[in-house]
Amino acid sequence: METVQYWIQGFSVATMPMNLMFAFIGCVLGTLIGVLPGLGPAAGTAILIPITFNLDPIGGIIMLASIYYGAMYGGTITSVLVNVPGEAASVITCLDGYQMARQGRAGPALGVAAIGSFIGGTFATVALMVVSLPLASFALRFGPPEIFALLLVGLSLVTGLSGRSLLAALIMTLFGLMLAMMGMDPVRGAPRYTFGIPPLYDGVGFIPVVMGLFGVGEILLSMEAPVIDIIKTKFTDLFPNRKEWRVSAGAIGRGTFIGFFLGLIPGIGAVIPTFVAYVVEKKVSKHPEKFGTGVIEGVASPETANNAYANASMIPLLTLGIPGSPTLAVLMGAFIIHGLTPGPFLFKERPDVVWGLIASLYLGNVILLILNLPLVGVWAKLLEIRYEFLYPGILLFCILGAYSLNQSVFDIGVMVTFGVLGYLFRKLDWPLAPTVLALILGPMMERALRTSLEMSGGDLGIFLHRPISAVLLIIAVIVLASPAVRMLGKKAGKDDG
Amino acid sequence: MKRAWQITCFVFIGFSIFWMLVSFQYPYHDRLGPGPGFFPFWLSLVTGALSLALLIQTTRSMSTTEGSAILPPDRPAMIRVAVNLIALVIGMAVFEPLGFRLTLLLFLLFLPFGLGIRKWWAIVIFAVAGSFGVFHVFYYWLKVPLPIGLLGI
Repeated sequence: METVQYWIQGFSVATMPMNLMFAFIGCVLGTLIGVLPGLGPAAGTAILIPITFNLDPIGGIIMLASIYYGAMYGGTITSVLVNVPGEAASVITCLDGYQMARQGRAGPALGVAAIGSFIGGTFATVALMVVSLPLASFALRFGPPEIFALLLVGLSLVTGLSGRSLLAALIMTLFGLMLAMMGMDPVRGAPRYTFGIPPLYDGVGFIPVVMGLFGVGEILLSMEAPVIDIIKTKFTDLFPNRKEWRVSAGAIGRGTFIGFFLGLIPGIGAVIPTFVAYVVEKKVSKHPEKFGTGVIEGVASPETANNAYANASMIPLLTLGIPGSPTLAVLMGAFIIHGLTPGPFLFKERPDVVWGLIASLYLGNVILLILNLPLVGVWAKLLEIRYEFLYPGILLFCILGAYSLNQSVFDIGVMVTFGVLGYLFRKLDWPLAPTVLALILGPMMERALRTSLEMSGGDLGIFLHRPISAVLLIIAVIVLASPAVRMLGKKAGKDDG
Repeated sequence: MKRAWQITCFVFIGFSIFWMLVSFQYPYHDRLGPGPGFFPFWLSLVTGALSLALLIQTTRSMSTTEGSAILPPDRPAMIRVAVNLIALVIGMAVFEPLGFRLTLLLFLLFLPFGLGIRKWWAIVIFAVAGSFGVFHVFYYWLKVPLPIGLLGI
């Protein structure tokens, strides 16, 4: 009964005209970010944080969340039309989506992706409404040892699933944790690793780091081969034919479940659900040999899984305070900027924010469907913007976003430095997602570890004596030691965001 | 690529040693429990050890031709990357003295030109919209504080 009251409260917040407008603007901007090559959802969301500075926290968070899942859909358009994924989760869509476009069926490919995304996203949001309150109540029982073990599981998953070398991924995770040590010691409050530089007293800015790694770094890499070849097509028929509907229905159903359940695992990232959905679809298909030649199931299932994942991954963020991907880490950063801390306490302290956000996800899915089906042609036109204007334009917003956080040129310097690092690490094929998640989770992790050791008088056994933390630690070890997890990570290839 | 991985491992080993040396400036333990130097010390130690392990693994197993090259593929690509970086660094240096509008005006005039666009009218419209236009939207409408330079622009 209590849950139903919260749902009603959430919808009353989300349907306020201003919040509806913020969701709409967020969906438009998100789709734009997804469409534009060289700008992924993590950097795109980070860049747009300043827009929300003077909004009330609910409106700001609703807009940023809409940007996040709007970008998830926008990435599909470039995958289908130019064979370049707008964001990493749409990589797999290139295989069949681009082939469909070459056969003159770009419309049905984008149509089924929009409808599948709507169904997957809506299902995940309904499930989010049902499970979030019990899960948050359970998480309230967690003490510092459980929190440390949980954060360790999250980081282990991100690390274990990243890239081709486990050692490189571990180093990148530790690099993020080391950067997180800069600033005020989270337990004693004394400055540490500040080297006499006043801006470092607040630590390395998380948002400039994300903009650098995922925004500037991506632009520099894109500059190497910037010209893209767009398939010109008329979007007269956006709906699949009857036969295509028959095969797509099952694919959408399977994609929904895969995306939702994988979205519950903190740290899994957006790429793996789409790969798993594609592989499963190929396995159950009567004609697996046709995958990669332009079959509609090859678009429907991963695109559905993508959006089901995006909404389901809000569950670990909202209930446990663990972001599952760099984009969600940015969203977590935005919560913090607005004076809110995601996690179980938020459900008690600001139910209006949490339930308003959850309800807005539902409305956002409707907005995206209405927005995207008729406007596919308009989005496709954007791909014709010349890179000589597009990339400087993106850099302009990176500069603006980095500066306006603290009105500090130092933050622009941080962004440029991490842009160069992001460019080099991409060239090296070292994963970036672990660094970003470690940077935002580092202070929490250190606080939980040190408080646990203070509680036990320095005895590390405290993590094994408490059943929840012991189970979580075992999971973390299994994740890092499991060849199956690493194989999945290698398949997924690149980072989310 | 093998060489690039080896160099990166060396950089991380050096970085861990530096981080560990700095960690000695902070108490490892205090009367309440682990001190501010505790976590950085262990992080540095493990990072150094893993970097060494990866260095050995790379040296033994990775072929010299594996993966893509670390440098841009050709001279034009290298120039495009360099033009962007130079514009960013100069833009950062003059951002506060010149203010948002002038800096971004110059930035957006220089970059498209540096990348090969020769339509002056298009560059000028783009630069004015991107500097004065964006400033107006963010500063006046969205109330985002942006720097006004020494010239009052």
